[in-house]
This record gives sequence, structure tokens and C-alpha cells, in this order.
Amino acid sequence: MSVILKTQKLRVEFRSREMRQATKVALNGLDLEVRAGEVFGFLGPNGAGKTTTMNVLLGFVPPTSGEASLFGIDVRQPIARQRIGYLPEMTYYYKFLSAEELLRFYAKIFGLARGEADKRIDRLLKLVELEHARKRPIKSYSKGMQQRVGLAQALINNPDLLILDEPTSGLDPLGRMKVREIIQRLKDEGKTVFFSSHELGEVETICDRVAIIHQGELKAIGGVHEIIGRHTSLEKAFLEIIGFQTPPTP
Amino acid sequence: MNSPRTILLLLVALLVSCFGLAAHLQPQFEAWRGSRASGDIFNVVLGDSRRMFAQSFYVKADAYYHSGYYPTMFDDNAAFQTAHMAEDTGAVNSKNHGDEHGFLGPTRDWIDAFGRHFFPDHHTHLDEGGADDDLGGSDNVREILPWLKLSADLDPDNVQTYTVTAFWLRIRMHRVAEAEAVLHEGLRNCPDSYDILFELGRLYDESYHDTDRARNVWNLAIRKWLKLDPDSQKDNRLIFEQITTHLAKLEEDAGNLPDALNWYQAAQKVSAAPEALQAHIDAVQKKLRALIPVAPAKLY
Amino acid sequence: MKNIFAVAGIVIKELYRRKDFYVLFIVTILICLVMASVNIFNDAKIVRYLKEICLLLIWICSLVIAVTTTARQIPAERENRTLLPLLAKPLTRPQLLFGKFLGCWLACGLALLCFYVFFGALAATREHQWPLLDYFQAATLHWFMLGIVVAMVLLGSLVFAAPSSNNTICFVIIVGILFVGRHLDQVALTLREPLRTVVYSIYFVIPHLELFDVRDLVIHNWPLIPWLYFSLALLYALGYMAVFLAGACLVFRRKAVN
Repeated sequence: MSVILKTQKLRVEFRSREMRQATKVALNGLDLEVRAGEVFGFLGPNGAGKTTTMNVLLGFVPPTSGEASLFGIDVRQPIARQRIGYLPEMTYYYKFLSAEELLRFYAKIFGLARGEADKRIDRLLKLVELEHARKRPIKSYSKGMQQRVGLAQALINNPDLLILDEPTSGLDPLGRMKVREIIQRLKDEGKTVFFSSHELGEVETICDRVAIIHQGELKAIGGVHEIIGRHTSLEKAFLEIIGFQTPPTP
Repeated sequence: MNSPRTILLLLVALLVSCFGLAAHLQPQFEAWRGSRASGDIFNVVLGDSRRMFAQSFYVKADAYYHSGYYPTMFDDNAAFQTAHMAEDTGAVNSKNHGDEHGFLGPTRDWIDAFGRHFFPDHHTHLDEGGADDDLGGSDNVREILPWLKLSADLDPDNVQTYTVTAFWLRIRMHRVAEAEAVLHEGLRNCPDSYDILFELGRLYDESYHDTDRARNVWNLAIRKWLKLDPDSQKDNRLIFEQITTHLAKLEEDAGNLPDALNWYQAAQKVSAAPEALQAHIDAVQKKLRALIPVAPAKLY
Repeated sequence: MKNIFAVAGIVIKELYRRKDFYVLFIVTILICLVMASVNIFNDAKIVRYLKEICLLLIWICSLVIAVTTTARQIPAERENRTLLPLLAKPLTRPQLLFGKFLGCWLACGLALLCFYVFFGALAATREHQWPLLDYFQAATLHWFMLGIVVAMVLLGSLVFAAPSSNNTICFVIIVGILFVGRHLDQVALTLREPLRTVVYSIYFVIPHLELFDVRDLVIHNWPLIPWLYFSLALLYALGYMAVFLAGACLVFRRKAVN
């Protein structure tokens, strides 16, 4: 399978404005590969560097050294983002727009013709179950509805790679189930999904491969069962990999 | 104590006591209000700074008289010390000197040269048509009136505002009734103003052709002027000359030649051009000699 | 270009869905109608004071709309985190900036159109004439002046931390240029070195927004500005817009968006 997401010795440093604070290394020599058609889980504790990795892949943050590419194109080229969809961790959209207007706006950015855009908008709103609220301004949406709008905008260009930053964060169990269903459906369609999450149970269920990152360094990468290994669950494996000592049971 | 009825009764008691206290203190507040008692909103809101605004609006009226071609504080405004809209009434001492057409001076740089195409660029007066260059008596001068009205409202003690307003209302706009109203308002605020009385007299004489009223008003103006101290009289000779010459003309037209002669002679004493008045005096004396050679009575 | 127009469309939608423009427009109408109802010596033909008041209100309102709308564009995108999903699309940062600029400028243009139509109608009730070419020149120059303002404020929104400080600083600069920009060279002549050189430099560097303020020509019915100088003024404005936008692109290129 071809590699569509790749990082090589990726290093990101942030220089602090405070003179006395040292330079913070967010990523230290990250080597990552995601193959076409797989669902890839990107795990790590808070502050491990997951969001920084995504920011580099999306061109928000320039790497200090190393390389990152999408579909073989350097991430700094805007064309690299033509075939991806992105759902940020906290979804906020133009509150004065309705869901339909927002999707139409993003469709224009991707250069979709009006007819094609209309069809896709109808299909996506049906997929995320927002047809009834398509004309309402987004400011009137609940958290779950906003998350679903986020998913819809991530899919507007029928992307080959979907980058999701904690897609189930803040959702109720029903919402999380719907997101899992959508990810599964995308996988069935042959799309590649790269997402970060703290819901290890979900990751264990739907991911093909996972990577665990801690303090900016890759600690483990491989198939889910490979990572779980001798442990009973992905959670226990995760805790051991990041070096957390489980207190002995009395 | 906590029952709603008790609370309600306490509130009512409080309200009644507040009302009683206010009624008791009202007379003292009335005496204390001072200048606020005038009820003039400008006085209350702006205080004495209203005079500064009044002056700004007076200058604004003159800027309108020039259709916007007017010097700023950075330009040479020697030719604009006395407002041209007042100067053209013929009733003020002009302090203007210098070039009114070229106050901007030569262009200083390319930005200045380029910028002069974007604001009024030559000297005109609205009574001559203004920027439209429509020469001849024009009623476009109406456009200065709102600013003069505002200036008068802000500074009711500025005599020139009333006389200039009345002049243009009467001469260009042919609104005699409105001009008279302005002058009467001016007299209410400035009862000792001989300038306003002179202008009122002109209105009665030239517009209403009521020579008796004109005579009475001009005589009153002379009496007001005579009450000035010598130094003030020295500074206000032009208005005295104008009143006396108008009285002289009025008396001459009415056939009261001795009175006319007296007024011409009084005017000649203060005039900057006594030779011109001498011709009038000689003409009146010639008419008198042709009638009865009676010594004229002193009028003042 | 389609990306730029797409972003511009969003900005225009935001303007007509917010209340700012409507409030300012209605306040302008009310003040002008009250001023028009004042009886000035029973003369119904007096019109220039009304034109001046109306144009002054238009200038104030248009500057408020231009500065406040532009100042909040990028900071609001960053604060509301709408910038991330936007830049995750194949949209470059310069395209985003140009789109914001174009949207704000076109929005100001639409607002100006409404204001000037009202102004023309108001003046016509007394003057009984429609000097369309004069109004066209005045409105176009005004619009291009707002283009310079929008570009400047957009650069300011990337340089200054908060929209409020950007608003204040830009308003002070704009009002300062409008009032004394034309006279800075005369002020410089009265100063000693090195202050003279500093003030002269400022005089030549600042965009001379006062060139575009042709209210006196409209109020007092002066003839048209020669079309050559009119066109040169528009080019002058475009030049400054380009300079400010180039500066904004340079600053935004390296700015963190998260």
C-alpha cells in the first residue's frame, strides 16, 4: 500500500518569549508513515505533541527540521491540502452562517462546480443528520451539532485522507457512536483516516494501526494487537509504554 | 417585620417622606440654580465655552460665503481678519490686508500641487454666485444663514451676527420680516447696540419706506453712541458717520434742510473722507440759501 | 481568484448580518431629517448646511464601519478558531488576506452606496438637481480612501495584539492625517533639525487621505475634478493599498495561527 502521510526526523521547537525559559521541543525526530486505506490512531497523553504533529501536517506550523509530506507533496505547498479533510479538536465555525452556507463556502475554496457542490452538500447533511437544521445559523446549534457540521466540512471535498483531532471530544455516547460509524463507512470506501483520541476503547475497536507519542518522541508504532501484546487492553499497554507505573493493588 | 404588607407600608412611607423633603427644598434650589435658570440649553450644556463655538460658526459662515475657499490656521489669513460677509455689508471697520486670492502661496511640493485639485481653488463671494461663477446679485448667500443663526444662538451678545444676518436677509433674500425679527432679537439681547439700531433704521427706511420710524430709531442710536466713553467713541467713528449721513440724507429728502446740514456737519467731524461730505454740505447750504437764511438749531 | 472572492463573500455576508451598518445608517437618516426640519428664516432652499452635516456623518460612519469591521477579521478568526479549518483547505495565507481585504473593501463600498443614495435624495429635495458625476467622483474617491484604511487596519490587526488597540491607533492616525496631513510640510518648516527632517519624512511617507476628502467641492457645487487627476488619485490609493497588503502578507507569513 502506498504511503500517503509521511514524516521524517520531524523536529519542532518553540522559542519562548520569556528570556529565562528554554526552548521547548514539541517534537523530536518523529518518523511516521500512514498507508492508504488504513485507519490510523495517533495516541499520547496531553502535551505529547499530537496536535503539533497535525499542525505541521496542515501547514500551520513550520518544522524546525525534518520533512513532512502528504501524497508525496511537501506539506508547505497549499496543493498538498487539496485531497485532505480536517476536523479540529474544538470546532467553531462562522456563527452567522448556516450549515448549508458554510459547506457552500468551503466547496468554493475547493473549486467545486455549483451543481456538484449542491449534491455533495445534500448528501453530507444527510450523512451527519443535519438536514432539518441546514438553514439555521450555526450559533443556534448544540455542541454535538457543531461537531457534525465539522465532520461535514471535513468531507466536502471527498478527501482521500481525513485528519481528525479528537473527533469524539465532548460528545455524548450517541454522538460518539455516530462518529465511529462514519469513520467505519469511510474506511469501507477506501479512505484513509488519521486521528488522535483519548478514547482508547474506540481506538482499539476501529483502528488498524496506532502510534504512541510521549514528550515529543515516538514510543511505539504498529498494529493494534501488536501494541497490546501481552497486556489485556490497549489502555494498559499505553500506560506501560509512556512509563506510567501502575500502583500495586492492595 | 418580614411580611409583604409591612415592607409595602415602609416603601410608601419612604416615598412620602422623599416627596415632602423635595417639596420643602424646592424654593432653595430655585434660588441656587443661578445661570441654569435661564433655561437656555446651550448655556447649561456648554457654559462660557459656547462663545468659542459661536466664533467658530461665525467663521464657518464666512467660509461658506467663500464656497469653502478659506484659509486654515496654517495659511496666511491676513486678508481674512474681518469676515468678508461682514465687510461687504459696508458697516464694519475692515482689518484685512494682503492677498485674499493667494493665501495658499506658491505650491510647496508635488503633493501640495496635486492636492490643490481636490479642494476649492479660487476666491469667490456667494453674493456674486459663488463657485458657479454666476455673476450678478445672487441669493446663494442664503447658505451662510444657518451658521449665523447658530452663532447668534450660542453667543447672543455678538452684535455683528445680527447685523450681518439682517443685511443679507433683507438685501439678497428680500425677507424683510425675517430681518426685522432678527434685529429685534438682537435688541432684546443687546439693548444698547447702536449697530443694530442703525440696521433697523435702514430696514424701516429702505424696505418699509417708513421715514418716521427710521428717524426715531437712528436718533436713539445716536443717543446710545453718545453715552460711550471718549476712547470707545474714537474706535467707533465709522458707525457714527454712517448713522449721521443716513439721517442727513433722510432729512434732506424730507425737506428738513437745517437738520440735514447739522447731520452732515456732525458726520464730517469724524469722517475719514471729509472732502466727500463737504460736497453734500455745500449742496445743502446752497438749497438753504435759496430758501430762508435761518440759523439751524442745535439738535444735540 | 475564486478563493479570494469566496472569502470576500463571507465578509460581506457578515456585514449585512450584523447590526452595525443598520444602526449607523438609521442614526444618520434620523439626524439628517431632524436637521432638515429646522426652520431657518422660512427659507426652504437652504441646503448646503444639510449636505455638510450629512456628508460629515457619512464620513464618520464609513470610517467606523471600515475600521471596526477590518480590525476584527483576523483576530476573530483566530479567537473563534475558524482560521484552522480555513487554512487546512488549499487556501494560502496571502489569498486569505486578499479575500479579507476585498470583502471589507466591497462591504464598505456597498455601505457607501446606500449612504450616498440617501445623500443624493436628501440634497435633491432642496436643490432639485442630481449632479451625478460630482457624486460619482466624490463617492469613488471616498471608497478608494476607505481601501487604504482597510489595508492599513488589516496590517495593524496582524501587528497589534488586540483589536481595541488596533482600532484606537488606526483611528488616531486616520483622523490625524485628515486634519493635519496636508499641512505637515508647513509645520516642518517651523521646526529645527532633526525634528524638521522627521516631520518632512512623515509628510512624504503617510498616505494623504485628505486628498480624497472632496466634501467642500460637493457641498459648494464646484466643477468636476479633472478626470486625469481623478484617475491619478485612484492610482495613488491603489499604490498604498498594495504597500499595506504586501506588509500584511510579510507579517502573516510567519505568524502562528494556533
